[in-house]
Amino acid sequence: MKRTISGLSAAAMLLLGTSLGAQADTIKVGVVAPFSGPFALYGKQFQEAIQVYQAEHGTTAGEHEIEFIYKDSGGPNPDQARSLTQELLIKDRVDYLAGYVFTPNAMAVAPLLDQSETPLVIFNAATSAINAQSDYYLRTSYTLWQVSMPMAEWAYDQGIRSVVTAVSDYGPGIDAENAFVAAFQEAGGEIKDSIRMPMSTTDFTPFIQSIRDQAPDALFTFLPGGPPTFGFTKTYNENGLRDEGIMFLGTAETEESNLQAFGDAAIGLTTAYHYSADHDSDLNRAFIAKNTEMHPDSVTNWATIGAYDGTHLIYEMVEAAGTDGPAAIEAAKGLEWESPRGPLVMDPETRTVVQNVYIREVERDEESGLLVNREKGVIATVGDLGWGK
Amino acid sequence: MTRLMRIPFAVEALLIALLVIAFFAFPYNLAFVTRILIMVLFVLSIDLVLGFAGIATLGQAALYGTGAYAAGLFAVHVTAAPLPGLLIGMVAGAALAFLSGLVLLRTKGLTLIMLTIAVAQICQEVANKARDVTGGADGLRGIRMEPVLGLFEFDFIGITAYWYVAIVVFIVFLALKRLAAAPLGLSLRGIHESPERMLAIGAPVYRRQVLAYTLGGGIAGIAGALAAQVTQLVSLEVYSFTLSAEALIMLILGGTGRLWGAIVGVVLFMTVHHVAASADPYNWLFFIGFMVLGVVFFLPGGMIRLPQALLRLGRQR
Repeated sequence: MKRTISGLSAAAMLLLGTSLGAQADTIKVGVVAPFSGPFALYGKQFQEAIQVYQAEHGTTAGEHEIEFIYKDSGGPNPDQARSLTQELLIKDRVDYLAGYVFTPNAMAVAPLLDQSETPLVIFNAATSAINAQSDYYLRTSYTLWQVSMPMAEWAYDQGIRSVVTAVSDYGPGIDAENAFVAAFQEAGGEIKDSIRMPMSTTDFTPFIQSIRDQAPDALFTFLPGGPPTFGFTKTYNENGLRDEGIMFLGTAETEESNLQAFGDAAIGLTTAYHYSADHDSDLNRAFIAKNTEMHPDSVTNWATIGAYDGTHLIYEMVEAAGTDGPAAIEAAKGLEWESPRGPLVMDPETRTVVQNVYIREVERDEESGLLVNREKGVIATVGDLGWGK
Repeated sequence: MTRLMRIPFAVEALLIALLVIAFFAFPYNLAFVTRILIMVLFVLSIDLVLGFAGIATLGQAALYGTGAYAAGLFAVHVTAAPLPGLLIGMVAGAALAFLSGLVLLRTKGLTLIMLTIAVAQICQEVANKARDVTGGADGLRGIRMEPVLGLFEFDFIGITAYWYVAIVVFIVFLALKRLAAAPLGLSLRGIHESPERMLAIGAPVYRRQVLAYTLGGGIAGIAGALAAQVTQLVSLEVYSFTLSAEALIMLILGGTGRLWGAIVGVVLFMTVHHVAASADPYNWLFFIGFMVLGVVFFLPGGMIRLPQALLRLGRQR
């Protein structure tokens, strides 16, 4: 039994090996992302970004034709993500992997990457610990530490001395809280209270009231997108925290796909983040124009840019190394390029992009009449500050 | 089907044949076929609880998830040998089923359904809060399994994982088949039909139900443990309501109260899901919806009744 099995797996491996050599003219990239269910927007945006990149740069890199294969992972579901990835590697024989919205989905494929020596470009999942699981992870999104720590340092520089943190009680929320608290205390500020709000909270009044009673200079929050964010900011305004001078500090809360739905309640909210669709550069304007032209209903936001830069990285790796996974990773390390979000460097150690973090304030744009994240300050070239924590 | 049952070992032979055929027919989809088998095991556990003993549950994921976390933590902290991990998963699932069953089974109907959901939700919240132990929303990682029995290494293609899971599912299926024919199985069916009558003839209904629920918990625990060992990661989703509900849909699709119903339902649901989702990643849920509607309307007994329904249709002509 054992001999037949090992013989079979050897044959399958051989098949895999020869196919890699024979198919050098077309290189396949497997994209694992949610295309159905409540998180389907991510998959749609990833696909749109890839299409925009292909429209601009063609479908060949070096001497290789590049083809993308999409697989629907649904929501956070590591079993599904792993078996889809296995199928992409074994059946579709992809040489690169990309996408991955949720941390557990990305984590579950680490052993597969090591065994098959396949580079994986994370378009979204934002937990620092992922990249430590395998040398084949690369990330073109951001990590929560990367944006939360600069927020804390900037706040202290602005004269804010006391903060209450209020985050949703789940992985990313706790990450954001830890990062902010560490950086703010390091700078010399005081954390008056750290509140963790249950995920399913709809009425934020008790939390907001408690923050108001403690009268800090600012509150720092992290909430999952959609209804919780609306509820929290609405309660923030209604309870007069803004009038009392308690500043709102956040990260992804005002991202573009939610922003217009806030209405005037959002004006003045301050966030630290790596991408604003309002970023003032020709490259960004051209990128958004192209995306809007190809997909009129689409809103360009951080998910779009993460996938766009990720696609660029894959093109660069294919051109430098073809189907050779370890060589592709080496080629990616230290790679520098100008993205619509600003200058990027692929950090050789953490394999997460080093990028600018922008301090933005929500304003109503005079020309378009739409709400925008206007950049007020830049904290240049921030790496993954959560590495090894 | 009934005629087939009379031939000795026909069912066993058929199952083995199916497992061998699946292995050679889908050499590139072994990971997916393995997931189907794990799901079959999980749905069998619901079949025992709901289809046989008539205990309405929408929280079977509590037992599956507990088995998964127990096996995962055991592999990380104690030993990475798969079989002891499987045992731990089973014991953990059965223990939770026994303890919660003592309370749950004093209720029935909607109250019972609500309480089973509540148990799964509580488990999920505990796993979320105990971040240092379970990894919270990031998932429990660091599970690296040793070879099965020290001989068969878990390989990249998933050959070992497939046979490992297939053999476990086969053994559990046979055990359940024996159980269904044994006095315990018959008395469970009786309880399903009419608890009052069973009480009247002196059967200890409550104790039998707790026993069935505990057995179901053990099987769900094995399924969870297998998932943890094969995926090498456990996430909070093992406790999700969606998992319990989807498994129940699969069971209804196949036919409740029949062991083959669980197999047919899972294979059908997951295959349609897989094919439709790769053909059209955006709209595949429509296909699933129509399929479920169709079965519920035209085959209330589940897909397992399809041959009989067709025969009846043929005779009417």
